[in-house]
Amino acid sequence: MPHHEFECSTCIPERKSHAVVKGEGEDLTSCLPEGHLLTIPGTISERGCAYCGAKHVIGTPMKDAIHMSHGPVGCTYDTWHTKRYISDNDNFQLKYTYATDMKESHVVFGGGDLLKKNIIEAFKAHPEINRMTVYQTCASALIGDDMEAIARDVLKEMPDKDIFVCNSPGFAGPSQSGGHHKINIAWINEKVGTVEPKITSDYVINYVGDYNIQGDCEVMCDYFKRMGIQVLSSFTGNGSYDELRSMHGAHLNVLECARSAEYICNELRVKYGIPRLDIDGFGFEPLSDSLMKVARFFGIEDRAQAIIDEETARWKPELDWYKKRLTGVKVCLWPGGSKLWHWANVIHEEMGVEVVSLYTKFGHQGDMEKGVARAQPGTLAIDDPNELEGIEAMEKLKPDVIFTGMRPGEVAKKRRVQYLNAHAYHNGPYKGYEGWVRFARDIYNAAFSPIHQLSGIDISRDPIATDKGFMTRKMISDVKLTPEEANVEGERPYTGDFDCVTKLRNKVYDPELSRNHEQAAV
Amino acid sequence: MSDEKVNMKVESVQNTRIMQMEDYIMKHCLWQFHSRSWDRERQNEGVLSKAKQLLCDEEVAKETPEDRCYWVDALSLTEAFRARFAWFAQMDKESIKVLMEKLKERIDYVTISGSLNKELTVARY
Repeated sequence: MPHHEFECSTCIPERKSHAVVKGEGEDLTSCLPEGHLLTIPGTISERGCAYCGAKHVIGTPMKDAIHMSHGPVGCTYDTWHTKRYISDNDNFQLKYTYATDMKESHVVFGGGDLLKKNIIEAFKAHPEINRMTVYQTCASALIGDDMEAIARDVLKEMPDKDIFVCNSPGFAGPSQSGGHHKINIAWINEKVGTVEPKITSDYVINYVGDYNIQGDCEVMCDYFKRMGIQVLSSFTGNGSYDELRSMHGAHLNVLECARSAEYICNELRVKYGIPRLDIDGFGFEPLSDSLMKVARFFGIEDRAQAIIDEETARWKPELDWYKKRLTGVKVCLWPGGSKLWHWANVIHEEMGVEVVSLYTKFGHQGDMEKGVARAQPGTLAIDDPNELEGIEAMEKLKPDVIFTGMRPGEVAKKRRVQYLNAHAYHNGPYKGYEGWVRFARDIYNAAFSPIHQLSGIDISRDPIATDKGFMTRKMISDVKLTPEEANVEGERPYTGDFDCVTKLRNKVYDPELSRNHEQAAV
Repeated sequence: MSDEKVNMKVESVQNTRIMQMEDYIMKHCLWQFHSRSWDRERQNEGVLSKAKQLLCDEEVAKETPEDRCYWVDALSLTEAFRARFAWFAQMDKESIKVLMEKLKERIDYVTISGSLNKELTVARY
């Protein structure tokens, strides 16, 4: 096994089995780090907790529910304010966050009454919202408040409401991944099958494992709707609480982030016989392949082909412009879970960047299998890294850009390495054809911004030349291109709008496309 | 050339082709990476047996939702194989069958029997 030992972690010998370097000729039977284990004492993990994984990753993107934490206010505030899972109802779920604000007295005497009071108060404050999710935290779990009983009690008084209780306290798993698991299983056990599906098409899917980061889900749903496919529910980006209760009515589960949502797809297959189709919404070729697969399932491949042709013709010349300039740029792909395998190969194939390292904060070995399988030889793959290991990897590998979250991203910035937010994005959406070009633009701007020349200067001390300007991005990025390569007719940088999502919300789709005329004729 | 040398050459060509197909599957597909060993067995069998049938111009069952789901992955795979590997056009159906069976053995090994993923045998999802 080609394990990699960080110099900074020699005092934590268990860490050695959490990092590997993929060698030439290595495969998954000889090269795989550990994963999804409890963080080793002494290592400062970058992980989130199981409460955060349940609530802030999966529960809260639901757009038409009040999301209540039963615990100290800090649990609900922390990370809520950094989320970018937008919705088409004026971002209700982003604008408000709720907590019962447990104090010492509630820990001593019980917090049940406090929870009931808060639930009723929140429903009364938002009479237009009839659905609520309630989350256990470490504090309320340890004192054993019976949240289900309290929810039932409230529903006797407010029968037009519905409440989902999620028991996933922070300590209930090695990382946020434990929370993903718990909320998936709780949702299918408690809520799926409790609302009759409203079927409007002969082609019906659940779109699962997309959280509508800066509009990703809405972009994908636009493609599906253009094919006449009904997205019965989206789990959970821009998702509706009641639509998610009717997931059992779909013909197919189309799964993106298997890390956070494969559990519910597996259960839907076993319980309701709905097959699971794993897809990649990132990158021209994987996306085209994915749209075609979904279309073929319903026998409407001509519609997928029309979308693929139209979108490729519109956006490929822009991707090509960036690819030329990004070829050879070194990146570390350090996201949370699924993006390490969604992006590992396709950013190399379609943008020309070199992925020199992969890591996952909360992924399982299954995620690393996909990531390592898709990575080039020489890639350093790390499970649950600590901050010092990240710094050591940056010093050794000298990447141009890091794709990661805010916390490690700030560390990278201090080392004068550019970072792009892999979770919430910089200027997303990144899914879809246009989104993929937006991602390329963000990488380009990160790698070639003239700001790098200035960021290393202490303006209070260092001399600054006043007789010359700084190098422009063209002087940096185009230096390796011949004039012929740099100026190909049709190729151009991104020409889309600042906001490419809002306009999708008012689109009208041809209702005829939702009818299967062949089936009707039979 | 002796029979032994011919056999070695055939085997070497076959191994190279299997490596190329495995590389494509690993870099572009997701169906082989379901989370449990029993699912991987089902997936590998479902997709690769249908891919074999498609490559050999045989009838493929796609009436049930499950079969249809395997079929869409298999069809996408066979199209990619044909587009990327020119040697497919020179192969007869019997050789394709043998090759695809060897490929399935290899994918089963990499993703199931030889896998280092300790979660494959966890009893529940």
